[in-house]
Amino acid sequence: MKEYFQLQYKITTRKCIDAGVQPLLACLLATIAFVGFSQYLFSKTTFAAPVYLLLALAVTGKFSDIKRNDFLRLCFGGSKHKKIRVIENFLIATPFVIFLAFKQQYIPSLLLLLLTSLLALFNFRTTLSITIPTPFYKKPFEFTAGFRNTFCLVAAAYILTGIALAVANFNLGIFSLLLIFAITLGYYTQPENEYYVWTYALNARRFLFAKIKTALWYSTCMAFPVALVLGIFYPQQIITLVFFFLAGWAFLIFIILSKYAAYPDEFNITQAILLCCCISFPPLLLVLIPYLFYKSQNQLHSLLK
Amino acid sequence: MINVCNLSKHYGTNEVLKNINLSFETGKVYGIVGENGAGKTTLFRCIAGLEAYKGSINADHTPLKNHLGLLLTEPYFFSKITGAEYIRLLCNARNTTITDISSRNIFDLPLQQYASVYSTGMKKKLAITALLLQGNRYFILDEPFNGVDIQSNIILTEIIHQLKALHKTVIISSHIFSTLSDTCDEILLLSNGEFTDVVKKENFSVLESKMKAVTIGNKIEKFGLQ
Repeated sequence: MKEYFQLQYKITTRKCIDAGVQPLLACLLATIAFVGFSQYLFSKTTFAAPVYLLLALAVTGKFSDIKRNDFLRLCFGGSKHKKIRVIENFLIATPFVIFLAFKQQYIPSLLLLLLTSLLALFNFRTTLSITIPTPFYKKPFEFTAGFRNTFCLVAAAYILTGIALAVANFNLGIFSLLLIFAITLGYYTQPENEYYVWTYALNARRFLFAKIKTALWYSTCMAFPVALVLGIFYPQQIITLVFFFLAGWAFLIFIILSKYAAYPDEFNITQAILLCCCISFPPLLLVLIPYLFYKSQNQLHSLLK
Repeated sequence: MINVCNLSKHYGTNEVLKNINLSFETGKVYGIVGENGAGKTTLFRCIAGLEAYKGSINADHTPLKNHLGLLLTEPYFFSKITGAEYIRLLCNARNTTITDISSRNIFDLPLQQYASVYSTGMKKKLAITALLLQGNRYFILDEPFNGVDIQSNIILTEIIHQLKALHKTVIISSHIFSTLSDTCDEILLLSNGEFTDVVKKENFSVLESKMKAVTIGNKIEKFGLQ
């Protein structure tokens, strides 16, 4: 059992090193990001505790995958396997539990501990094999697959918009708009197999334009309904809405170009730092987008002549 | 036509392809045979432009990669993408419009299911269908018959004959000799990064006997099956 956790530690440190960041620094950055996100969530909505609870359960639920657990059971046997699962879920839930306790949400904190321990005893499919319909089937693959992976989150963003209108909270509405753009950014963080770049009968420049065009069109399809209802209920805030919509587009372009600027490697720490800089100071995007476009063109040149 | 001139490929100090010179003519089907590690896949990747190399590769339709259908030994599929969407993705990439994908479903695949849950053979058939619908001039098929059922192998053999009739250039690698003898005009023997033999259709049986003799030798007797 000890070996299992030592191996998990080794795998995690290797992943950090592969991403070009020292494990200690990665740990520090992850802690800052986690606390920052948690703080932001609790500052923006009164529904933070249940959202936080669901989020923690969704993360721990990933470890209940049937295939994964079949493998662990084969390796460690029944009782050891259960111990591993309980410890694993406890470790994952700990940061959430601590933050909830810090926010004096003691009941959700205890509830989370209980639920994650119970979750360790159940295994289930973490991926659906039924084909989820998608409106983005005409231009595969990012939005096609991405929508299917995140349709619950997209639905949650729309529900949040409804809540924002019901409680007359424009800021919550903006949060739901940004949540939709944040979801779409996630569709572009993993580099695809080189075959799916190579196969395009386009040069690097036209390829990048095509990817950006699809992303802007499909993200607009997802985010426009939110912007529209917010615009109808808050006509005096149209300028703010337009600003956030344009910012969403700009960040989407930034992420696409960041991905191909590092291609075929994964999104690395440098790009993560640049993203953080852009979030703190968005005008930086105006400089970084042309730079990343140039870099992406160079990276793709060998595959797309 | 594809012309390969003085093609060499190194991985570090290991020379995988050694000064290869050959031509693949229009309207012909070529088979490439060789042991595992002989350099077949590297050769295909070089022709496709997926690998950097020394030498030159030219074709009458340029750039070659935009007219080439490449079937990899183990095609990669995204999760949560259906068979139909996979075909659409590959056709979009070549600016080919397919209005009714289901009517072009030659292997009767469940195109509305996620491709990632297909069996090995179904994945290969899906990849082949997409390459055919792209409307390519050249085809490189790395192990197209592997894992595919007998019925689909029959269809695939007929497709290759049809591609030849349509003046396309087809290059196939296979570890099953009969699939090559049924489809190819020439078979090229690749060994340690060099072509050691080129055999025309009329001499395929001689090549098969020679390969059997060299490969099997007295290994079976020495193994002493009981």
